[in-house]
Amino acid sequence: MGFSAVNSKVIAAPVEPGREVLARRGAMLAYTGAVTFSPVHLGSGGIGGFAGRMVSGEQVPMMVAQGQGTVYYGYRGLYVTIIELDGSGPLSVEADRLLAHDAALQSTVVFLGQQGGIRGAVRGAVSGQGLFTTQLHGYGSAAVVSHGGTIAVPVGPAGPVSVDPQAYVAHVGHVDVDISASVSWRDAVGRGSGEAIQLKCTGTGTVYVQASEQKI
Amino acid sequence: MLAEPADDQQGDREREIGSCARIADMQSFRLESPRMLAVDISGDTIRAATGSMVAYTGQVQFKHAGMGGGDGLLAGLKRRATGESLSMMACSGTGTVWFAKDAMDVIIIELAGDTLKAESEQLLALSDKLTTDVAFAGLRGMSSGQGLFTTSVTGYGTVALLSAGGPPIALEVTPQYPLVVDKDAYIASRGQLNQTVVTDVSWRNLIGESSGEAFSLRFDGHGVVYIQPEER
Repeated sequence: MGFSAVNSKVIAAPVEPGREVLARRGAMLAYTGAVTFSPVHLGSGGIGGFAGRMVSGEQVPMMVAQGQGTVYYGYRGLYVTIIELDGSGPLSVEADRLLAHDAALQSTVVFLGQQGGIRGAVRGAVSGQGLFTTQLHGYGSAAVVSHGGTIAVPVGPAGPVSVDPQAYVAHVGHVDVDISASVSWRDAVGRGSGEAIQLKCTGTGTVYVQASEQKI
Repeated sequence: MLAEPADDQQGDREREIGSCARIADMQSFRLESPRMLAVDISGDTIRAATGSMVAYTGQVQFKHAGMGGGDGLLAGLKRRATGESLSMMACSGTGTVWFAKDAMDVIIIELAGDTLKAESEQLLALSDKLTTDVAFAGLRGMSSGQGLFTTSVTGYGTVALLSAGGPPIALEVTPQYPLVVDKDAYIASRGQLNQTVVTDVSWRNLIGESSGEAFSLRFDGHGVVYIQPEER
């Protein structure tokens, strides 16, 4: 049994021995049972992952919940989306959007330049996400925060899904995210549509899009 | 008298707002979530607030709709003259587009030849055959700071409006029951309505003991007024 939604902004996470939950520090709202919380210094990626986090700034202090009980998580009144990973593909998300995840999920920091070369780096810079992103692999639940909730848009062979860079939240599966610009002379004279730069998602998987263009 | 739409926790549960507005299932506008509008475009053109697209599939082009939100030169000049600005983009092609703005709730209203008056900044999207114009809104603008003019939408089609702070509320106005709303909570109105400003300025305001509701909008006649839970 994974995370469950209490309402659109609070989730309940069951904790038992052998099933710890990692969450953003300060996100715990309440808990029942015998649960202890301790800070996590080394990310689950080990020394390498830790060093990566230090360098990349893709670091948000996390805490681990251990014991037996149920923990309720929420963060700043933001909407929470629960994403179940079935091992078919990784979840890619910004570290500051990650509210909680099963400790069984492997977390790594990925340099965007590795995915799409220089274009990947440009994408990170343009969309304001930085040059690094967090990936979670394996089986388990993850909870992601957003402004106004998310919708899940399937990405498949039918064609690419284009997403506003500010509204992009996360993606699951084997999805390539590339930046595409359709800047015209209209943008230069202030007559643009406001949609000049988009993220083009191709492959197979799901893209999560929030109902706002605000960052966390 | 009062019909409140579904709570946002219910996901995309269908909401009914009075009998005048409902989800347009035969039209191409639908609510993907309470705060996200999805529109299927197949060769036609819709207009949406500039920058409100969050995602799309298929072949869709986005273009600035031109001065005055795409209603021609005269409307554009009127907008420039009145300061009731409207920045819209035209979306054309084939595919599905999702629109959202600042996590505000979305309400879909269908028009069958009648006129809807709305705040221009609360307009999210308009279907093909609707025209917008600038309408004189009475002396309300003096108080609300939104100009003396308001945007009117006329024709046959679907309008998507934004509601800040939560789901909107539709309030019915009849000759027996005139309605007074806060100017900052007002979104839109439709029907045969007469709009006046109610002031409650007295000596209390001068000594800082005001009720905080010095200016309100009063509606008389027959129609529906939409308000939002948050004050601008």
